[in-house]
Amino acid sequence: MRLIPWAMRAVVPFVALLSLGVLASAQQHAHTAQPASPPAVGQRTPAPQDAYVYIGWPNEGQTLSAGRIKIWFGARNVGVAPAGVNFANTGHHHLLINVPIPPLDEPIPNTKNHLHFGAGQTEAFIDLSPGTYTLQLLMGDAEHVPHDPPITSKKITIHVR
Amino acid sequence: MMKRVRYGAFAFVSTLLLATHLNAQSQPPPEGARVYIIWPGDGQVIRRGKYWLRMGLSGAGVAPAGVDKPNTGHHHVLIDTELPALDREIPNDKNHLHFGRGQTEARIELPPGQHTLQLLFGDANHVPHQPPLYSSKITVIVKP
Repeated sequence: MRLIPWAMRAVVPFVALLSLGVLASAQQHAHTAQPASPPAVGQRTPAPQDAYVYIGWPNEGQTLSAGRIKIWFGARNVGVAPAGVNFANTGHHHLLINVPIPPLDEPIPNTKNHLHFGAGQTEAFIDLSPGTYTLQLLMGDAEHVPHDPPITSKKITIHVR
Repeated sequence: MMKRVRYGAFAFVSTLLLATHLNAQSQPPPEGARVYIIWPGDGQVIRRGKYWLRMGLSGAGVAPAGVDKPNTGHHHVLIDTELPALDREIPNDKNHLHFGRGQTEARIELPPGQHTLQLLFGDANHVPHQPPLYSSKITVIVKP
């Protein structure tokens, strides 16, 4: 006992506690994070059962004033995660403006007609000039590829004047 | 010997304090971010007690619990309770529901009567942001 400097002995509880802390946080992480393994190449991420997305605002056929228009994204039976995050039963929103659903076996294009919300946003403000527009949501997985089957909203038409 | 024991105890306690402090380090929220309850509205009467609660978030993103990304967090619904301590993990019980799988809607069932609902955003470790992001507290009336 005498051979171990007492300062060392004081350090022992530190080290023991620190490793306990690491264990505890690792356990918590395992408990909460539940990461999904990324799908194999050429395989799309399965959609959770009964998952669907919808445009909560604006409504079908609505007429709005030109300018900044708020759009909110509804997601039921599916969670939201930022792009790049592989987590079971999640995805992130994409807003399609005036375009049909793109090919489903590749990443959703990133253009002014295909807006990505890869930071996990659940609403957006978009600037629209007068005209008629179609809006549709399409969820993408961590790699921006639609799920299988795709999680997509009804396509709505709005009028901006 | 007594001195050593005391030193050991001091080391023990200070480690605990340090660990608590490290665990409680919370993320700053993005500027202008806010959380709000989209539905139901304040004073809403709900029939049969079961409904979908819709959680709104402006100026920030949703990420599942355990995912440490700047400007994100996940929703917690507080039912019939005050805001908990804001410098530590949000409790996990029937009054503090966690939506750590990135959910933005939840099926909630409440017994008949008057209930309060409030959202509180938490970071990857379920700790509120600093300053915290929470919605205004609403009241709903559940009819049988």
